[in-house]
This record gives sequence, structure tokens and C-alpha cells, in this order.
Amino acid sequence: MKSIFYVLAFLAGVALSLEGAMYASLGETIGKLESSLYNFAVGTIILGVALLFFGKGKLSYTKEAPKWQLTGGLLGLIYLTILVVGIPLIGVGMAMSSVVVGQLIMSMVIEHNGWLGSPKVTVRKEKIIAVGLMIVSLFLIY
Amino acid sequence: MSILLLLVTVIGGALLSAQSSVNGAFSRKAGTLESAFLTFITGAMMLFLLVLFFGSGKILSILDAPVWQLSAVWLGVGYLFLTILAVPKIGVIAANLAAIIGQLSMGMVIDHFGWFEGAVIPFDTKRLIALILMVVALRLLYVGNVKQQREKEMLETKAS
Repeated sequence: MKSIFYVLAFLAGVALSLEGAMYASLGETIGKLESSLYNFAVGTIILGVALLFFGKGKLSYTKEAPKWQLTGGLLGLIYLTILVVGIPLIGVGMAMSSVVVGQLIMSMVIEHNGWLGSPKVTVRKEKIIAVGLMIVSLFLIY
Repeated sequence: MSILLLLVTVIGGALLSAQSSVNGAFSRKAGTLESAFLTFITGAMMLFLLVLFFGSGKILSILDAPVWQLSAVWLGVGYLFLTILAVPKIGVIAANLAAIIGQLSMGMVIDHFGWFEGAVIPFDTKRLIALILMVVALRLLYVGNVKQQREKEMLETKAS
């Protein structure tokens, strides 16, 4: 029964790759920044409707939250625009591999230093070896 | 040129990881959907300004863009919902790693067939070795994360 949730998480990753490839293609049609704008504008509408019906949280926290907690949109738009520009030039496989490498390194740095409200955890050697292996495999397909 | 591009994409991944920490902190107080909504609406506002001043001028061709290109937005939202479903059942660590495996293998499948008007980059021995190394790396990450969690729990029981 639990295995179905592993499949769902796997499919979530599949969706990310498909999304990147499709937006790269949309970027060739309407422009790179425009492609990112499309995602964020229409995503706002979809999530806005979802929020109306299923929102259980407290959106008004936005006014009290420290300003750094409001930078998710800025970070997201830079990420997506990099993908839209990069994928047509290096392919989806390599783009996704380098994104994962960047994610792993950054999440280790964040945890190790206890940045952005995450609990401080000293980095373990297994994780450093893992990131090393990922970098080697990135150069293999480069 | 290409190595620079690779580096920029790695930085993109780093920003994505920072985003997930930032949104994690916000969503603990405000809620998951609320956090995603805030991300999308602020991103849309900033991109609107950027497109106005630095856009390619082709924004109106969105009306002619094929529906399959436009449906990408559902995949982004789908990712969000699938993650929300999976994380409480199997935990953040396992959910993230399963997603990464999906992401990496699908990326190579898309390249191999040249789907979505992309260049065809065949799946060769080099890519197979790379994929195996990545799976080994993810296994190590899993082990590292589980050990980390166990230590944390032990500290917590000691403290209480």
C-alpha cells in the first residue's frame, strides 16, 4: 500500500522533467521570459482557485512574515528562466542532472550552517561522497 | 560556453533548494497551498515587469501556441500536489529521492527520443554508467539522511 506513494513521488519527478522540456519548447515560440511569465501567471490562477476551496492555512501571515520568507517567487522565476534558456542548448537530461547537483550541494550547505530557519546539522561523509559521485556522473554525460 | 551553461544550471538548482527552505519556513506558519500561491503570485508580478521592459515582444503569440506547450503549467501544479500527497506517507527524504530518480530518468528518456521538439541525444553507455552512479549516490544520501535523523531523535530523547 505504501509503495503507491513512492510511485507518486517518482511521478512528481517525471512531471518536473516533462515540464522543463515543454517550457523550453514554449520559450522558443513566445520568448524565454514570456514562457516563465506564463507559468507563474497561470499557476497563480490555478492555485488561487485551489486556495479558495481548499486553503486551510493563514495567507495573512504574509504581512507578519520576515521579508526573506517572501523571496520564494524571485528564486523560482530565476530557476525556471535558467531552465528555459538552458534546456534547448544542453538537453533535458543534463539540465536535470545539474539542477539536482546544485540542489544537493545547496541543501547540504543550508543544513550545515542552519540557514533559512533549518535546524543545524553537521554534514555527513556519506552525503559528501554522494555529491562527489553525482558530479562525476555529470561530467560523464557532459 | 557549454561548461558555463552547466555551471549556471547548477546554480539554478541551488536556488531551487534555497526556495524550498524559504517556502518551508513560510508554510509552517501559513500553510502549503498558501506558500505556493505566494510564490506564484510574486513571481508573476516580477516577471510581468521584466517582460514589459526586457521581453522579446512575442508575448501575444501565446494565443497561437499549441495546447501541449501550454499544458506544462499543470505538470508544475501536479508536482506540487503529488509531493503534498507523498511526503506525509513516506517522509521528505524518500519522497525527494524518488522524485529525483523520476526527474533524472525522464530527462534522459526525453533526450533519447527528442520529444517536445528537443534535440535527440541518444542513451548510450556513458549515460547508463552516469545513471548507475547517480542511483548509488542517491542510496548513499538516503543512508546518510536516515543516520542523521536517528541521531537527532536520540538527542531529542536524551533532552527530554
